[in-house]
Amino acid sequence: MATAHTASHSATAHDHHEHEHHDNFITKYIFTQDHKMIGKQFLITGIFWAIIGGLLSVIFRLQLGFPDMQLEFLKPILGGWITAEGKLDPDFYLALVTMHGTIMVFFVLTAGLSGTFSNFLIPLQIGARDMASGFMNMLSYWFFFLSSVIMFVSLFIETGPAAGGWVVYPPLSALEQAIPGSGLGMTLWLIAMTCFIASSLLGGINYITTVINLRTKGMSFSRLPLTIWAFFLTAVIGLLSFPVLFSAALLLVFDRSFGTSFYLSDIYIGGEPLPNTGGSPVLYQHLFWFLGHPEVYIVLLPALGITSEIIATNSRKPIFGYKAMVISMLGITILSFIVWAHHMFVSGMNPFLGSIFMFLTLIIAIPSAVKVFNYLTTLWRGNLIFTPGMLFSIGLVSFFISGGLTGIFLGNSAIDIQLHDTYFVVAHFHLVMGSASFFGLMAGVYHWFPKMFGRMMDARLGYVHFWLTFIGVYMVFFPMHYIGIAGFPRRYYTWTNFEFSNMYTDLNMFVSAAAIVTFAAQLIFLFNFFYSMYRGRVASLNPWRSNTLEWTTPLHPGHGNWPGEIPAVYRWPYDYSKPGAPEDFIPQTVPLSATPESNLPHEQELVKLEKAIIADEETLLVANESKAS
Amino acid sequence: MEEKFAFVENAEQPIAMHPKKFALWLFIVTVVMIFASMTSAYIVRQSEGNWLEFDLPEIFWYTTGVIILSSVTLHWSYLSAKKDELGNLKTGMIITTVLGLTFLVGQWYSWVALVDRDVFFVGNPAGSFLYVFTGLHALHLISGVIFLIIVLISSFKYEVHSKSMDRMEMLVTYWHFLGGLWIYLFMFLLLNH
Amino acid sequence: MYGFLIAVGVLLLLSIIWMVYRIQTLVSVVKGSDKKVASGSNKVNAIMFLLFLIGGGALMFWYSIKEFDNYNPPLASEHGAVTDQLFWITMAVTGFIFIVTHILLFWFPYKYRYQENKQAAFYPDNNKLEVIWTVVPAIVLALLVIGGWRAWSDITRPAPENAHIVELMGYQFAWEVRYPGVDNVLGANDFRLTTASNVSGVDFTDKNALDDFSSPVVVIPKGEPVLFRIRARDVLHSVFAPHMRLKMDAVPGMPTKFWFVANKTTEEMRAELNDPEFEFEIACTEICGRGHFSMKRVINVVEPAEYRKWLAEQRPYIVINPALVENLPADVKELADITISEYK
Repeated sequence: MATAHTASHSATAHDHHEHEHHDNFITKYIFTQDHKMIGKQFLITGIFWAIIGGLLSVIFRLQLGFPDMQLEFLKPILGGWITAEGKLDPDFYLALVTMHGTIMVFFVLTAGLSGTFSNFLIPLQIGARDMASGFMNMLSYWFFFLSSVIMFVSLFIETGPAAGGWVVYPPLSALEQAIPGSGLGMTLWLIAMTCFIASSLLGGINYITTVINLRTKGMSFSRLPLTIWAFFLTAVIGLLSFPVLFSAALLLVFDRSFGTSFYLSDIYIGGEPLPNTGGSPVLYQHLFWFLGHPEVYIVLLPALGITSEIIATNSRKPIFGYKAMVISMLGITILSFIVWAHHMFVSGMNPFLGSIFMFLTLIIAIPSAVKVFNYLTTLWRGNLIFTPGMLFSIGLVSFFISGGLTGIFLGNSAIDIQLHDTYFVVAHFHLVMGSASFFGLMAGVYHWFPKMFGRMMDARLGYVHFWLTFIGVYMVFFPMHYIGIAGFPRRYYTWTNFEFSNMYTDLNMFVSAAAIVTFAAQLIFLFNFFYSMYRGRVASLNPWRSNTLEWTTPLHPGHGNWPGEIPAVYRWPYDYSKPGAPEDFIPQTVPLSATPESNLPHEQELVKLEKAIIADEETLLVANESKAS
Repeated sequence: MEEKFAFVENAEQPIAMHPKKFALWLFIVTVVMIFASMTSAYIVRQSEGNWLEFDLPEIFWYTTGVIILSSVTLHWSYLSAKKDELGNLKTGMIITTVLGLTFLVGQWYSWVALVDRDVFFVGNPAGSFLYVFTGLHALHLISGVIFLIIVLISSFKYEVHSKSMDRMEMLVTYWHFLGGLWIYLFMFLLLNH
Repeated sequence: MYGFLIAVGVLLLLSIIWMVYRIQTLVSVVKGSDKKVASGSNKVNAIMFLLFLIGGGALMFWYSIKEFDNYNPPLASEHGAVTDQLFWITMAVTGFIFIVTHILLFWFPYKYRYQENKQAAFYPDNNKLEVIWTVVPAIVLALLVIGGWRAWSDITRPAPENAHIVELMGYQFAWEVRYPGVDNVLGANDFRLTTASNVSGVDFTDKNALDDFSSPVVVIPKGEPVLFRIRARDVLHSVFAPHMRLKMDAVPGMPTKFWFVANKTTEEMRAELNDPEFEFEIACTEICGRGHFSMKRVINVVEPAEYRKWLAEQRPYIVINPALVENLPADVKELADITISEYK
């Protein structure tokens, strides 16, 4: 569809701009092609999904923490999924776990995070009027919306939503006889994910094209803010990995609905043998994790990019090791494609492959370590201002360390034998991928809210929100390490059947209580977000005294972002607290020739080059003015 | 006000490529990934044994010829358009479209031939994979034919000429890619079936 | 009634908080403190980080030490000693990094909190530092990986010839345990032969199957290698024996295996833990449906002599249920009848 569109769009691109000035409600807020509004649409949809995903986790945490609790009060919502004895149905428990994973990974942390900030920030920070194709961008959102609607509907069908785990391993996900969720629920899951893949690819193609083609004058790759680097590499990863998920899903669809045997073999279920022979369930796992592992970085890289930007700004210091940061992100991008099978050490695949993937996996820890040390050095001898965005960024670094270190255990196949599919894994990825990315999302919202809505979010509510969430997240996920070392398996409805896992009712209760409190603390954010949107203090043009381009736009930038010409860029975005400079920040738009007092020796050289560009600019300006008059 | 927004269209383009063309290349990358994953799945699955051996339908040789020929005719029309020889352009476009449709029909007959030798979509994955490869490729080829027809229509409206080549260039890229993709798939199957 | 009162109370409380909050905001606007780069709460947040470091660290140490025996599952296999050692070495290395980085991460915010008269250091890069913290983690990781790789190759190498074979077949929602009998060779099986009385789908035309028997408990000898042959007949399952540090997926259509040596009998472990109820257990760790959480089997580790005695007492499938061999071809039937008569 992308091709058909690209063909027709170049013809319409010229006249669509004429309509920009008489926007009506529909073209401004619904079928908008303005990247800023599309970013906000992704954000609001993401917040909606975060609430749903969080609620699902609260329900299954009730079951895990308080197994004897009467859940009859949930009957109005869950209906038949509460049994006559007032208990949660085990099938529905699995559906809850599955949907929580799917929603959080794809709808909140992929669409809600990367979708929001890539859309919102790429054109603003590289100095472009809009995305390369506003129409494709709009399509990207509406595919996501369609996907959301289908996934949402699947929550309410009679046989329940997909229930085979978010990885939907066949044969469980392929056979309706195996679990009710693998019927219509799974079909809807697959349709929704196909739309989601289409949305991600449309978005990704656009992000890459925009970053490569539409940078403003002077915005070389070495002057890109780290946010843009992160979004760019995220889009590259998505572009290469989502098609593979599509392949995996397509073959699964054939197995489910047409009776082929790609993944199915030698199955006896429901009292009869199935005709399928020759399939391999492990094949699906290979295909899935070829997306699944890069997906972790699709979720994480944008958060790391956002954090780099916010930590530098609020430390009033350049980010330490800009080049090292970029190289480590590049390293992560490449390595993310060759480590997938570490999810499959005990899947029955060849143990020799296991050793190879163990080596590759532990290599990816090195760029991650470099990033952490660079963040720490950026804080060192800074002048730190704790805006809510900064707090969430520091929180992210903490989660990234805690969760990243446990990855060293799991990447080691010998240790993974015991820890695989236990709560240790749950703790690991909820910290490093879930919470860290969620904190990146929060940091981004607090930091760029003034640019999105022209008003400030309340800082004190932000502090309360941060501390409750930060402490809460640790209270939820830190104890899970102990539970995991003890060997508690994942996706268990209850642990009391086993001697080795029937202790720790107290710890599980504690985790559940902490989860509920943490979830409730998000209401503070919701209130702050929606209240500030209408009643918050009006923001100044550059409230965080930041260097990047987005803060040179008007308070409420129109479609096109800059009312006049797009400003040119003369320096990297991290000139904070430069010795000799009167202020502790120098925006990217200030020419080096205007700051002779603070230029470094090699920058003096560049001043000459710059003069030529400025002269160029002026002739253009003059020409425009004469055209306007 | 109007004047200020006019910059949207002539934004800086640090590399000399039309954004839409670049986007097309990225789209091609995604298609490559789909087929790369499919063919690697084929190899992984094949190495596990229990694999049905059968001969590929001979008709694949003819369809391969057809698609190569269509690439040649399309390239001829592209060169004609560049030289503003609009008559040749139209002829070339029509021939290419016909060849594209012939290829699709040929692929359909290859399925018939497969059924004749008892290789079905449902059964041993060796056969299923073949159907998936050809089917997915045919789907992309249908999108290519639609694209062809769109450009064909605009060439009849004299909208394709040396000053307006963007769409034609994108079509040529996409069509050559689809041809190359089929040759890759065919070679792959010849070597690994 | 109480509900109503509570609701009113909560509403009142919320509105009071709201009022206080609004007044504070207005006061700060009047005082002009909201125009400042960093307000007084900057210091509060900085101190909070320190408090979190101290409080969180104390809690972690207290709990980790107090509960050590509780979260550390008892160990009963030879290779488990190696992987446990690797686990604790990794724990020491990562624990050290975890503590150091977190002290820095939370102490810096306090130390370098905003002060108006101070300026941050302009310190954009230092190649020497970058190289150090690329190379040092690389070396540390390499050492960890090599340890892991050696253990992994050792664990996954082919089982010794004399290993006792036990077949574990996962199905919704239990494990079927099949022993190869006297010949230590499992009979062939075919999923199409599965019936209510032949859960494993054993093919009795294979004469190796004639002495195969089933057991409700996995009984294995101490100190001798045991090979688990693992398969599934409907969806994915995964054999997890936490005390043996053993885990392997059960895949329909693709048999898998795991061999190990148990080095403590159940009785010894009971004495050691002072828990007469203790059992070694097998659980399922790959989501498999409604009863995923209930797929339990007990492993009974016994002295080798006792194991041989137990083995001799077991009766093959066909002895317990002669109907299984009724429709077999004559030659196999004859063999089967001989086997049955031997056990009578």
